[in-house]
Amino acid sequence: MFDFLQAVVDGILFGTTYSLIGIGFTLVFGVMHKINMSYAAVSIGAAYAGLLAGSLIPGSSAWVVFAFALAFGGLFGYLVYLICFHLIPIRNENATLMSTVGMLLLADELVSHFTTGSPQAYPAMVEAENLRLGELSLRPDLIVVFIVSVICTAILLALLYRTRLGLATRAVAQQPVAAQLCGIRVVRVNAITFVVTGLLGGIAGALVCSAVGTLSILITGPLTVKGLIVTVIGGLGSVPGAIVAGLMIGGLENLFQHFRGVTERDLYVMLLLFAFLIFRPGGIFARGRGRD
Amino acid sequence: MEFYYGLAQTIGIHTLLGLSAYVILLTGQMSMAQAAFYAIGAYASGMLTVLWGWHIVPSLFAGAGLGALIAGLVGFPALRVKGLMLVIATLAFGEGIRLFFFNFDYQVQKGNIRVGPLGGEGFRQIRYFPENGWTSGEVMVFVWVFVVLVMALVWWLDRSRYGTVLRAVGDDELAAQSVGINLTATKVSAMTVGGAIAGLAGGLYAHYTTHIEHLAFGVVQSIFALAYPIIGGLSSVFGTLAAVIFVQGFLVEGLRDLGDWRNLLFGALIIVAMVVRPSGFLDAKMLSRFKRASRKGGASA
Repeated sequence: MFDFLQAVVDGILFGTTYSLIGIGFTLVFGVMHKINMSYAAVSIGAAYAGLLAGSLIPGSSAWVVFAFALAFGGLFGYLVYLICFHLIPIRNENATLMSTVGMLLLADELVSHFTTGSPQAYPAMVEAENLRLGELSLRPDLIVVFIVSVICTAILLALLYRTRLGLATRAVAQQPVAAQLCGIRVVRVNAITFVVTGLLGGIAGALVCSAVGTLSILITGPLTVKGLIVTVIGGLGSVPGAIVAGLMIGGLENLFQHFRGVTERDLYVMLLLFAFLIFRPGGIFARGRGRD
Repeated sequence: MEFYYGLAQTIGIHTLLGLSAYVILLTGQMSMAQAAFYAIGAYASGMLTVLWGWHIVPSLFAGAGLGALIAGLVGFPALRVKGLMLVIATLAFGEGIRLFFFNFDYQVQKGNIRVGPLGGEGFRQIRYFPENGWTSGEVMVFVWVFVVLVMALVWWLDRSRYGTVLRAVGDDELAAQSVGINLTATKVSAMTVGGAIAGLAGGLYAHYTTHIEHLAFGVVQSIFALAYPIIGGLSSVFGTLAAVIFVQGFLVEGLRDLGDWRNLLFGALIIVAMVVRPSGFLDAKMLSRFKRASRKGGASA
């Protein structure tokens, strides 16, 4: 019984990183109605750039690496926007999606080239004994991952719902033409959205790598797929949906692993996605058919 | 010479894979599950020839049929969602199928070895061609017969009434629906045709490599399948062929000396291709220029 609870708790804590990646996908979708397929790969790339930059400063702590990862995340987010969305006619759906796929492969290969394909040790944020809660034991680094994720999400929600920039972002997401007529610079809002999701991605990439303990391009594939699944289950464009779906997928994934083993785990996650597509295609918080 | 035969087979199989995505792209849908139908065709036809001793041609058709059936079945639920949601749904389905084959064991004692798919180790000994004494030249011709047939079929489909319907749905769903086109039937049938072509490609691939495993059918393979028609352009089937020759012939084989920089180039190339020619190498403008040139050439001759 406690094994079972333990698996769920670990999963939910790790699921916060899925939430962060899911939020990144969902924000870009909400604002531009595009999917940035390269998001998870570029996030891992930012985490790696942070690791490299951190290693240049002798004696730097894990937090310095994280700060660099955050900064590189924002920078890479802007670059992705510039290359994949600004230079390509926005109406051409295939071309914009395909260019982000190209970016995914490029980011993957760049990391693999510079690490010569071998996994890199990634610093953990805290090194302490496992916390004990009755029979349950909680990994302290996962708790920090959880707390940092919650803080990031809170900042993001405040940014979206409490600032003028957030208002502009939501306006563009709702009606780009009307927003433009009201004097909002849509191009600028789009670019800022990419920078914000990039910052989030840098953090998420660093959190995932430190939770796993290593940085490897083998992470990007599953992270991309899981992030997209979280986005769909949460409902495309819904930030609260992505948060809940991320935690849910994290918990259920460990549950499936507990009962059916690691090789079959993801199979059940896919089945869950299909169940959602058939019965609730709008996601967890679907509110009937909205504007299209 | 063996090397060029091998390269020609790879180009042929990838052309089929690209064409399978091409048909679906015509309806404006993007399917990231092409590698799954490819895997289904590969495993099905491999099992038929190895475990049950079928002839290769019927087993290829069976693989294509199964690919078509599964693609049609996926088409229905997946069509509840549109556009980008479909991309994610098919991506997840493709991963699901890959994981299915990762866990799929079905082995049979044959002589003194056990043959058949074995989970993560994959499916070895698909030795139909060597057992029946086919030379690699003959295998290449065999593969290309199918490639030419399918290309001709898709080319003809494209110009038929059905192709016009596909493109109408791709251009503007609402307009297509309002002139009485059945959207569901059109999209599901396009998925089915795409699944059949991918299944056929999978069968050919399984017999050409003799060893298949789940890793060969990952997301990257689906990305390749989509990249060919998009890079080549959706105006003509020849765009897909040109893109395959460019990628497989030039990028993958021609630049082998560059070592692992070559992989970097592939991602960068997709981006550059999309920035420079968002509608593909062979877009409508280019195609009409070719047509005019050939007409002029014909008139003067």
